[in-house]
Amino acid sequence: MKRLLKYLKYYKKETVLGPLFKLLEASLELIVPLIIAAVIDRGIATGDTSYVVKMCLLLVLLGAVGLFFSVTAQYFAAKASVGFVTRVRHALFGHMQKFSYSDIDELGSSGMITKLTADSDKVQSGLNLTLRLLLRSPFVVFGAMIMAFTVDATSALTFAAVIPVLAVVVFGIMLITMPLYKKVQGGVDKILRKTRENISGVRVIRAFGKEEDEISEFKDENEKLTKIQKRTGHVSALMNPLTYVIINVGIIALINVGALRVYEDPSMTKGDVVALYNYMAQILVELIKLANLIISITKALASASRIADVLDKEPSQSFGTLENSTSASDYYLEFENVSLRYRSSGEDSLTGISFKVRRGETLGIIGGTGSGKTSLINLIPRFYDATGGSIKLFGEDIKNYSEAALRRKIACVPQKAVLFRGTIRENMCWGNPDAEDDELLFAIDTAQAAEVVSDKGGLDARVEQGGRNFSGGQRQRLTIARAIAAKPEILILDDSFSALDYATDAALRRKIRERIKDTTVVIVSQRASSVMDADLIVALDDGEAVGIGTHEELLSGCEIYREIYESQFGGAGNG
Amino acid sequence: MAKTTKKAAPGTMKKVLAYIGRYKLLLPISILLALFTVASSLYFPVLIGDAIDCIAPWGDDSGFARMHEIFLEALILIALTALAQWLMSTINNRIAYHVVRDIRNDAFGKIEELPLSSLDKKARGDTVNRVINDAERFGEGLLLGFTQVFTGVLTIVGALAFMLMTNVVITVAVVLITPLSIFVAKFIGSRTFNMFKERSECEAETTAHIDEVLGNQKLVKAFGMGERECESFDKLNGRLEVSARRAIFFSSLTNPTTRFVNSVVYAAVALIGALAVMTPVGGMSVITIGMYSRILAYSGQYTKPFNEISGIIAEFQNALASASRIFELIEEPAEESDADSKELTEVRGSVEIKDVSFAYAPERPLIEDFSFTAKPGQRIAIVGPTGCGKTTLINLLMRFYDAKSGAILVDGENITDVKRGSLRSKYGMVLQDTWLKAGTVKENIAFGREDASDEEIVAAAKSAHAHSFIKRLKDGYETKLGEDGEGLSQGQKQLICIARVMLTLPPMLILDEATSSIDTRTEIRIQKAFATMMEGRTTFVVAHRLSTVVDSDAIIVMNDGHITEVGTHEELLARGGFYTTLYNSQFAKS
Repeated sequence: MKRLLKYLKYYKKETVLGPLFKLLEASLELIVPLIIAAVIDRGIATGDTSYVVKMCLLLVLLGAVGLFFSVTAQYFAAKASVGFVTRVRHALFGHMQKFSYSDIDELGSSGMITKLTADSDKVQSGLNLTLRLLLRSPFVVFGAMIMAFTVDATSALTFAAVIPVLAVVVFGIMLITMPLYKKVQGGVDKILRKTRENISGVRVIRAFGKEEDEISEFKDENEKLTKIQKRTGHVSALMNPLTYVIINVGIIALINVGALRVYEDPSMTKGDVVALYNYMAQILVELIKLANLIISITKALASASRIADVLDKEPSQSFGTLENSTSASDYYLEFENVSLRYRSSGEDSLTGISFKVRRGETLGIIGGTGSGKTSLINLIPRFYDATGGSIKLFGEDIKNYSEAALRRKIACVPQKAVLFRGTIRENMCWGNPDAEDDELLFAIDTAQAAEVVSDKGGLDARVEQGGRNFSGGQRQRLTIARAIAAKPEILILDDSFSALDYATDAALRRKIRERIKDTTVVIVSQRASSVMDADLIVALDDGEAVGIGTHEELLSGCEIYREIYESQFGGAGNG
Repeated sequence: MAKTTKKAAPGTMKKVLAYIGRYKLLLPISILLALFTVASSLYFPVLIGDAIDCIAPWGDDSGFARMHEIFLEALILIALTALAQWLMSTINNRIAYHVVRDIRNDAFGKIEELPLSSLDKKARGDTVNRVINDAERFGEGLLLGFTQVFTGVLTIVGALAFMLMTNVVITVAVVLITPLSIFVAKFIGSRTFNMFKERSECEAETTAHIDEVLGNQKLVKAFGMGERECESFDKLNGRLEVSARRAIFFSSLTNPTTRFVNSVVYAAVALIGALAVMTPVGGMSVITIGMYSRILAYSGQYTKPFNEISGIIAEFQNALASASRIFELIEEPAEESDADSKELTEVRGSVEIKDVSFAYAPERPLIEDFSFTAKPGQRIAIVGPTGCGKTTLINLLMRFYDAKSGAILVDGENITDVKRGSLRSKYGMVLQDTWLKAGTVKENIAFGREDASDEEIVAAAKSAHAHSFIKRLKDGYETKLGEDGEGLSQGQKQLICIARVMLTLPPMLILDEATSSIDTRTEIRIQKAFATMMEGRTTFVVAHRLSTVVDSDAIIVMNDGHITEVGTHEELLARGGFYTTLYNSQFAKS
C-alpha cells in the first residue's frame, strides 16, 4: 500500500486542503442548532423580532459560506483523486512492460487489464469519497457531542453513552458483511464464467444436446448467488433499524435528562434541550451517510491492494549492458546442455539440449505436440530463462546483452498472428520505426504478402483490432513481413506457416533464403516439408533432442523424424 | 462512480413491472411497510415536540407525568418502526434479487435457444456484459428505487401533510422555495451529461488500447515496443485525466448547491416560525416552542429527499437502460420451436443433400444447388484451403444453420422435420476449435454421456491416446480444468475432445480438422482409432492434410465458399482441376 501512497505525494496540498474545507463546512453546520437555540431563548422569549431576523440571515450566510467551502473541497478532491489514479495507471502500465514472460504467465493478461481499468476506477472513486467525506462523518458525530457538552455537560453524557454503542453496531455489521461481499463477488464470477463458456461452446453444447443441463447448472449457480446476496442484504439491512433505535432511544433519554436539568437548574432552558435534540438528529443523518461510504471505501481498498501487489512484484529478469558482441566466434547461436523448467511445473520441459548454428544458416525444429518446440525457441530472445546450461549469441552469453540489443538482433513470428489497430505501415514498423517504404515493401514482398497489401489498398490501409479484417493466412504473412522488416540477425518463425498452403509455404521459404542470406533463420514446424531443407534439424520428443543433423542424417538415424516424415509423405500415413 | 445517463427503450418499465409482478404478494406488503415507517418517522418529531412542551420552566415538574407517557408511546413506536424498516428492506432485497435472478435465467436460457446465425454475429463480451453487468446494475438500481425513491416521495408528501397540520403559512413558504433545489440539480445534471459522455469516450479508447497491448503483452515485448506503447498510453491517460477531473468536479457540485438551497429553506422556516410564535396570525392556534422545533425538523426531512432523489433518478434511469439491453437479448427471436416435430430414431446413416443453396449474407451466395449422397458407412472428405467454407457444410448438416432452399435428408427424413436435438445426437462432432467446460477431465469426457462408468471413460481416453497424459496430470481424471480447458495445451485439449466423442459413439461422425493441433505421429495413431470408430458409421472429415483423405469414398473440394469438385481421389486427380493443384502443392519443394 505504501507503494501507492507515494503517488499521493504529488497532491499533498489537495489532500490536506480538501478534507480541511470539508471540515470547515461541517463545523458551520454544527453552529446551526446553536443559532436556533438563540432564536428560541433570546429572540422569541424576549419578542425581539430584529434579533430573530438577524439570526435567520446569519443562517443563510452560513449556508453560503458552507457552499463556498464545499465547492473548494470538491475541487481539490476531484483533482487529487483523478490525478493520483492517472499517475498510478502510468506507473502500473510502465511496470507491466518490464515483466518477463513468466511474470505475464503468472499474472494473466485479463488480470492485468482489470487492474488498469476496473480496479483503478474503484480506487479513484474511493479516494474521491474519502477526501470528501471520510473525515466529515466522525467529525460531525464527535463535533455534535462536543457541542452538546458546551450546551449542558450533564445531559451530554447521553451522547457519550450512545456513540460507543453506535460504533459497535456500525463496525460490527461491517465486519460481518465484508466477507459476505467477497462471496457475492465470487458468485458473480461463477455465473460470468458459465455465460462466457456457453457462448464459446455453443456448437458443442448443441451437438451433444446439453442445453437443458447447462440451463439447470446456470440456474443452480444463479440461485446460490441470489441466496448469498439475500443473506448479505439481510445483515446489512440491520444497519438502519438498529441505528434508528439507538439514536431515538438516545433522544428520549436526552429529553428526559434535559427535562430534569431544566427543573433543577435555572440556567438550563428549553431552547437548550431543542439544541441537544438537534445535535442527536444530526448524528443519525451522518451515520447513514457513513455506512454507505464505508462500503465504497472497503471496495476501493481491496482494489488498491490488488494494484499494489502488481507494483510490488519485481520483474523476474535482469539484463546486461552489452550492445554488440566483440567475440570472433563463427557461431551465431549455441545451446549447451540447456534445460528449462517452468515456474508452475514440477517437471523439466526441456532437458540437455545442445547444438550450434552459424551465421546465415537455417535451423529447423520439429517435433510432436508438447515436445517443447516453442519452449526451445522462447529461450533465444530470453522470453524465458533457461534453468540449466548456457546459451550463447554471437559468442557471448545471452545474459550479458541489454534487453534492447536482444530485441534488435532477434525478431520473432509467434504462432498466433496478431496485428494491432492502426495502419499496415504502423504494424510493419514495429521492429524498425524509421523504416522507409521500400524497405517495408521489400519485406512484404519477401513474405509473399505483396498481393495482400495491394488488395487492401496499400501501406496505409486500415487494420482493425486484432487484425480481424484480414484472414488467418493474410495475417500470418503480414506478421512474417513485420519480423523481416525489423532486419534481425536472427529470425524465428514459430509454426508460422500453419495457415498457408504448401505452395505459398515453399515460395516463402525460398524467398527468405535468397533475400536475407546473412540472417540466421530458425523454423519451427510440424511439417517435415518446412524443415527438410534446413542446414540443421533438431527433432524434439518430450523435451529431449532425439535427433540433430540434416534431413538425410535424421531420416536414416532418427526414428521419430522418420515417422513424422513418413506420416506426411504417404509412406505409412494411410490411417 | 457517476455514470452517464443512458436512454432506455420505451416500454422497458412495463417489462420490468411484469417481472416484479411475479412477486405480487410481497409488493403491497413492502408498500404498506414503507407507508408505516414513513408515517411513524414523521410522527416521531410530533411526540418529541409534545414531550419538549411538557418541560416547564425551572422548578416546575407538573409536566413530567405526561412526558413519561409520551416516552412510552415513543418507545413502542421506535420498536415498531425499526421492525418495519428491517422487514421492508428484507422484502425489497428479496424482490430485487429475485427479479434479477429471473431475468438472468431468462437471458441465459435465450442464449441456448438463439439461432447460431444471430449468436455468431454478436461479440461474446457484449452478450456476457448484458447477462452479468447490466443485470447487476439493474438490480442495484431497482433496489435503490424501491428503498429510496419510494420512501423519499412518501416522506416529502408526509412531511408536507404534517407541516400543513402544524402551520399553513410556513408550509406554503417551504413549498414555494423548494423547486429551486430541483432546478439547480437539473441544471447541473444537464451540463455534466456531455462531460460524462466525453469521459466515457476517453475511457473506452484507453481501455481498448490497454486491452490490445496487455492482451498481446508477449508480442509487444518481443518487439521491444514497451516504451513506445507507454508513450501512446500516457497520451490517452492524460486526456482521460482532464475529462474525468472535469466531469467529476462539476457533477459533485449538485450536492453542495442543493444543500445551500435547503439551508435557505431552513432559514426561512426558522424566521417565519419564530415570528409566528411571537405574534400568532389572527385566528390561528398559538405555535408553541415544541411545534416550532417540530416544524424545523420537518422542513429538514422534507428537503433531504429532494437532494437524494435527483441523484437516484439518474441512477434509476441508468438501471432502466441496462434493463432494456437485457430485454433486447431476451426478446430476440429464438430458433423455431420443434416441440411438435418427431424424434429421429434409429439411424443407419444415409445422408442425402438435395439441391441445397445457402448463403450467410444474401449478396454473397455460397453453396448453390448442391446435391450429394452419402451411403451408410461411407467416409466423405471435405477439403480446400483455409477459410474456404468447409465449416459451412457442417453448419448445415448439424442444423446450426438452415439451408435457404433444398433439403437435407437423413435416412430419407428431411432434417427440418425432426427435432434438432435428436438429429444432432446422431452425430459425433470433433471441431478444430476445441472447447472444454470448466470442470474435471472426467466430467469433460463424459459430457455426452453422464452415466458412463469410470472404466468406459478410461477406455475412451485410451483410444483417443489421451490416457497417458491425463494420468500424468496432478489429480489424473479428477484434475480440475479452468475455463476453456485452461492448463492444457491445444493438442491435449483436442485429445480430450476426441475422447468425448469416442465415449458416445453415435451413428454418424463429423471431424472438423479434428487433429490439427496434434503432431502427426499421434495423429496417425488417432486416425487408426478413428478408423475403427468409423467402421459402419457415415463420417464427414474436414482435413487440411490431404494424405489423410486419399482413401475416402468421396471428396468434396471447396474453394472460396463454393463447392468446386466432387469425386474420389483418383477421379479428381484424373480431372486435373483444383484438387490436383492442392494435392501437388504439399509435395512442392523449395
